[in-house]
This record gives sequence, structure tokens and C-alpha cells, in this order.
Amino acid sequence: MSPTYIGLVRLTFRELWARWVTLGLFIVSTLAWLMVTFALNIDVVEGSLAGFRVFGDDVMPTDVDTDPSDLLNTIVVTIQAAVAGAAYWVAALLGLFATGPILASSLEPGRSGLLFSKPAKRSTILNAHTTGVVLVAALITVYLLGMVFLVMSLKSGIWNFRFLLAIPLVVTMFSVMYSVMVLVTVISRSSALSLIITYGLIFSSIVLAAKDEIAPQITLPWRNVYLGFYHVIPKFAEVTRTVAQLAGIEPVNNLYPLASSVAFGLFVYTVAVFVLKRQDL
Amino acid sequence: MNTSYIPGPDVSIQVDSVSKFFGSPHKSSSVHALDDVSLTVTKGEVFGLLGPNGAGKTTLVKILLGLVTQSSGNASIRGIDTRKFEARKPIGFLAENHRFPGFLTGAQLLMYYGQLSGVDRSYIKKRIPVLLDQVNMAKWANTRIKKYSKGMMQRLGLAQALINDPDVVFLDEPTDGVDPVGRLEIRRILNWLGDQGTTVFLNSHLLSEVEQVCDRVAILNNGAVLAEGSISDLTKTTTGTYTISVAGSANIPQSLQTVLGEIQDRSSSGIVRFNPAISDRESLNQLIDSLRAHAVPIESISRVRRSLEDSFIDLLDSPVD
Repeated sequence: MSPTYIGLVRLTFRELWARWVTLGLFIVSTLAWLMVTFALNIDVVEGSLAGFRVFGDDVMPTDVDTDPSDLLNTIVVTIQAAVAGAAYWVAALLGLFATGPILASSLEPGRSGLLFSKPAKRSTILNAHTTGVVLVAALITVYLLGMVFLVMSLKSGIWNFRFLLAIPLVVTMFSVMYSVMVLVTVISRSSALSLIITYGLIFSSIVLAAKDEIAPQITLPWRNVYLGFYHVIPKFAEVTRTVAQLAGIEPVNNLYPLASSVAFGLFVYTVAVFVLKRQDL
Repeated sequence: MNTSYIPGPDVSIQVDSVSKFFGSPHKSSSVHALDDVSLTVTKGEVFGLLGPNGAGKTTLVKILLGLVTQSSGNASIRGIDTRKFEARKPIGFLAENHRFPGFLTGAQLLMYYGQLSGVDRSYIKKRIPVLLDQVNMAKWANTRIKKYSKGMMQRLGLAQALINDPDVVFLDEPTDGVDPVGRLEIRRILNWLGDQGTTVFLNSHLLSEVEQVCDRVAILNNGAVLAEGSISDLTKTTTGTYTISVAGSANIPQSLQTVLGEIQDRSSSGIVRFNPAISDRESLNQLIDSLRAHAVPIESISRVRRSLEDSFIDLLDSPVD
């Protein structure tokens, strides 16, 4: 890697730290895993579940026929899947909100001239910036989910390594949504607009995720428009299920939401690079 | 696109018939920022680009830095097309109204921006104290930039522009906000850079400063080069290089009045000032002899020294062909 690329990644890291973004996300993540630590109380006696309390309330299932050792496994994995799903949303929404203004400030007059007059391709500068942001998001995700994994595994004695597969998924979907922010910021120079559009897409994905229920209710040709949106827009909400499935014990039966979202992210990012290369700064 | 042009080995900056439209050239709303601009800056030259606001100076500098792409024509730095990022390897740049990240210290900024210029960390580490000392900022090296004054920011900006030991330095209003002592230091650095063989491309509104440091200047107006040349070329007078003040004009014969020209100024004490159309010492002495012969009392004789500002204003006021 060239000194220019490394320098740009370091500068992005430094800026995220100076703007309290890294520390803020670190504190929120710490609070999250501490909450999991203190909220869940799992009593394990000889490998079987003897007691299960959430915030001090006994929620031990009593009317199930499941073997106590299987029950322990089911509860731990279910909780982990739920935590992974929640972390996916929190990490993405919070991470996007925190990192959004960084690119816009780099492209402001007075800074962009200094940055883009350096002997580096514009694509290299943008890639290095994105690398820095995604690396910080990845570190925070590894810390949050890693600590949850460690705490729950130590408490229960069940080491569900599949839970860790949620980490790359969270980072990947963060990157997909960040690419939208990059494109909007490159075009508009507005971090507020980039957040509005990105969050808009995320919340639209909730409506689009219910396509099996909604689409039959819509008449043609609007149904095709709705389905067109479904196929184009990143399926952020639907991927939550994939995250939970990966973290839990269910098989992942549909990778289309993830694959099409990644394709969308790559396309949008490529357009952002293309636009930036042609812009007069 | 003409790519056959190969500049000579001493040419640092070459601008060849560069035009720039913002917006479509066929639409009335488009802005014609540069119109067929050509100029050459040789190695080691301190070159000044002058012009009123909106003349196209910033656009030209941005084209040379690869920040803006020209609509037509060619621009190169040391023979490399400015549209290629490789052209920016030997350059340093201090932008007008630049904004450095306030969370960095002066030394950290030089380290990061040095790295962005592709310079090795170990080399930058050695260079930081030297440069900070040169711009008189050594004692502020570890202070955060957000605490710097405007003048300190400019001096740090200059150090930043020199961190990669550039062959060509672009400076946009480098003394903006700097106190007179700081300006003197910056002028000293610019002269030193020129002596070292570094090409300096200076964009400044302060004409007196340009006059003091630049070897050559170009004056830009409405996107076109109005004049280009050395300071002495541009400040050369066309009407005469002397003024003669005499006590009263009653005794001056008609033949001498033709040489003396029109009265430029008449004081309340009767002193009349002329700007005769002569430019050499011999003609001046002949004129003095003639005035003495006709008993015209001479009050004073002085050499006319036009400033760059005078030439600049004259050029801008002159009608366009």
C-alpha cells in the first residue's frame, strides 16, 4: 500500500477519533454488552439450565417438554440471534449517523483543494477514506459482538461460534448503506441530505420486506413498480433475518437479500467514484 | 486534444490555449472563465498571476493542480499533463482560505500531509523541525491548529506546501492575514526558493508584494491574459520617464511647450509640473539647457517610477480591442 493511501486511512481514523465518533461508539457498545452481562442471569447446573432471569425476573420456561440441556442451548442461541439482530440495526444507524459528516467536511472548500491536489487519484482518496470509516465500524462491531459472545459463552458454557458470523454481515451492510451516503455527499456536499436519503432507504426496506403480504394487494402496474423498488433498493430489513439465522442455529435459506444489497452498494459506490472523478472541485 | 507538445527542459509550467467553460458553452447561462490562455513559467522563476476578482486566476490555478478540467487546450507541469495525477508529484500548494483539521498539531499536520504527498515518514520526521523553524513556527509544533492565529495558519500552510521538497510551489495569497514581520519572512522564503531553483507560482492581490518578489507576472482579466512580462517591462512608461516642475509657465516658448507636453499639475504657489515625452538622459539635459536659456526657473526634476499597481490599473482601464 502506498504512503498516500496509508496516510489517508490514518487521517480518517484520526478525524473519527478527534470528533469523538470512535469513543462514542465504543462507550455505547460497552454499555450494550454490560447490559447483556447484567440483564441475563443464567444458572447452569451440570450442563443443564437450572434458572434463567432477565433483569431479575424469573423467565425460566416451565411448561416445555424439552430436555434442560437442549433448552439451555436454545435459549442462549435465541438470545444471541436477537442480540445480533439488534446490534445490526444499532451499529448501522448509529455508525452512519456518526460517520456521515466526515466525508462532507473533507469535501468542503478549503480542505478539498489541499486534499485533491496531492499526487493521488481521486478514486484512491475516496477509497482510503471509505476504508478508514469501514475499519472503524468493523472494529466497533468486533468489540461489541465479540464481548457479547464472550460474556454469554462464559456464563452459559455454550460456545456458539456461528454467532461471530454476524460480524462480517453487519460490516457488509454498513458498507452498503455507507456507499449511499458517499454518493449523495459527493453529489450534494450535504451530510444532512445523505443521512436523510440513507435512512429513508433503510426505513423503506421495512415496507419492501413485507412484499409477500403487500404485493398481492396492489393492482398492476403499481405492483411492478413496488416489486421493482424491492429488487433495486438494498434489503436492509430483510438482511436482519439473515443475521439472526447466521447467529442462531437456523439454516440461511435465502441469500438474495444480501447479495442484491451488496450489488447495489458496489454499483452506487462505483457511480460515486465516477462522479467524483469528473467533478470540478 | 493536442498531445504532441513537448516543453523544453527548463519549462516548469506550460499553459497552451486553455479555455474553460462552466456549464455548456452553448447555453447563455454558462460562464466563460478562461479564454485561450497561454503562458510559460520556467524553472526557478517566481511568477505572479494578477487580476481582479473573477478574472479567472483561481480557475487557472485549479486547472494546473488538476482540481478543474479545462474545456480545451493543454496544461502541463514539468511536461506532464495536469489531468494526470503524476503531474502533482513535484508540486506543493497553499490554498487561499485553507482549512486544516483543527484537531491536529502543526507537526502532525505536516506528517499527515507529507504522507499524502507520497513522502517517506522517516524523511518527513527529519524535515518537520527544519520547515517549522524556517517559517518561525518551531515553538508551536505541538500546539493544536485550532489555537493558531490566521498568520500562524498561513505560515504552517507554507511549511505544508514545502513538506515534499517540491519543484513547483503554488501559493494563493500566502501573506493573507500575516503581520508585516511575517510577510517579510515569507518574502524571504519565496526569494530563497527561487534561488534554490524552485518555481514559485504566486497568486496575490497585493501588487506591491508581487512587485517585490516576482521575476515575471501575467495579468488576467475576464479570463484572458492582458499582459505578460517582467516587472520592468510592465512598469515601463510610454509617455516619459521624468517629471519637471517649474516656477510658472509664462516664459516657456511654444517650441519647448511641445516637448514638455500638457501641464500635469499646477500648485497654488504657481509651481507647474510637466511629464515630458523624453526617456533618456541626453534629451533631459538638452531640455534643461533650453529651459535655463529661456530663464525658466526649475523647481525639481524627478525620475518617474510607475508602480505595478499603476500599470495594472491602466491595463484594466484600457479599452478591449
